[in-house]
Amino acid sequence: MSREEYQVPNTGSGNSPAIGGGSFNAGQRDFSGESGGGVIYYICGDCAVRVPLERDTPIRCQKCGARVLYKERTKRMVQFEAR
Amino acid sequence: MPHKPPTKEELERRKTVGIHEETVTNVSANDFPMNYPGEDHSWDIEAFKRNFRVEFHQNDPFEASFSLVGCDASIANAFRRIMIADIPTLAVETVFINNNTSVIQDEVLAHRLGLIPFKGGREGLHKFLKWWRRPADESQINNSYYDFNTVLLRLDVRCEHNEDAAPGETDPTKLYKHAHVYARDIEFCPVGRQSRYFSGDDVIAPVHPDILIAKLRPGQEISLTMHMHKGVGSDHAKFSPVATASYRLMPVIQIERPILGADAEKFARCFPRGVIGLEPVTKEEASRKGSGYEGHEGELKAVVVDPMRDTVSRECLRHEEFKGKVKLGRRRDHFIFLVESTGQWESDAIFLEAVAHLKKRAQDLEKQVINMVR
Ligand SMILES: [Zn+2]
Repeated sequence: MSREEYQVPNTGSGNSPAIGGGSFNAGQRDFSGESGGGVIYYICGDCAVRVPLERDTPIRCQKCGARVLYKERTKRMVQFEAR
Repeated sequence: MPHKPPTKEELERRKTVGIHEETVTNVSANDFPMNYPGEDHSWDIEAFKRNFRVEFHQNDPFEASFSLVGCDASIANAFRRIMIADIPTLAVETVFINNNTSVIQDEVLAHRLGLIPFKGGREGLHKFLKWWRRPADESQINNSYYDFNTVLLRLDVRCEHNEDAAPGETDPTKLYKHAHVYARDIEFCPVGRQSRYFSGDDVIAPVHPDILIAKLRPGQEISLTMHMHKGVGSDHAKFSPVATASYRLMPVIQIERPILGADAEKFARCFPRGVIGLEPVTKEEASRKGSGYEGHEGELKAVVVDPMRDTVSRECLRHEEFKGKVKLGRRRDHFIFLVESTGQWESDAIFLEAVAHLKKRAQDLEKQVINMVR
């Protein structure tokens, strides 16, 4: 796939979602249906599991309890020269 | 005074570089016109044909060693440089990384992938595949990739825990699935006519399947596609078809006066194994007056067996007992090449291609010169 063919995933409308209401509209996100309900995935710093986080949930890995979570890598393709 | 043709010894001396304890002498070529009164040294194709020869010492797919005897350093060096920088090969040029959560950074990973040597069908690589040129209009770049100038590769690896691992196992390769990413994990995706040229034994694959690309831990993933293009070593070393292409001059060892007995053994130890041999002094030699062998019949003497294997370390010049008995040198017109292929070309084919390349360059230049004069 080339850089130009790639569709940039869209994070939605940009409106502020209702707090706790779960009415966050994921909009045109094409993350294959896993993004319903305003869930953002993070990576656990200890066990590398994908941790779904909603608003107001404590920042904590649900598997091992670690409190360091990392942002996921971009879903965009990145092009490099092999030089 | 009539001109006396040079003796055999004189001719030998002329083409030998002297190697002494601290200095190197007689380094420049001297067979050019007007250098020796009464001798014609103008370049002559017939004389060149008479004197030039090629000898192969070793010819393996990945390593060839041969001698060019009777040519000038400029020609030998041209071949060496062409082999390194001008023979085209196919290598990874662009990496499209969809995901890389390994500890190795995208840039470093892409660089490593570029350096992996690949092999494939000869006809496809050398005849079917052509150069890829970046289009002048950058927006047209997606219309510049065709089956005859781009090869598509894919690498998709994900590391997982191995449920079948024995309890207490500590070896990551057994504890996890795909802990190591190797060159053999790269998959070739033929496009268009490529499946005709690159299938079966001719498939495009890494020369060495065990090259380690990255190490992963459970949950980490590498997912990418690659474009390979043809290129030359002068653009980037990854395109060079040789790991090394080098030459050295043929060593000359001249034993001027006899080296006998224990001295002979010590003398042999001054050189790499096989360069100096030990032979008994014959009756005929011992009876010859002034040979230095008188009364030494049956004793061992040092003889030069295989000077090509010498590294010219000059070790023998450091010892008092060999002073004045030995002369070291190098033959100025005897080039011992060593060509080590990275695997895309046969090592001897690289040299033949270099000859063809130099010939084509010379013909191109000739055309230009003719145009210039017209
Ligand atoms: Zn965790």
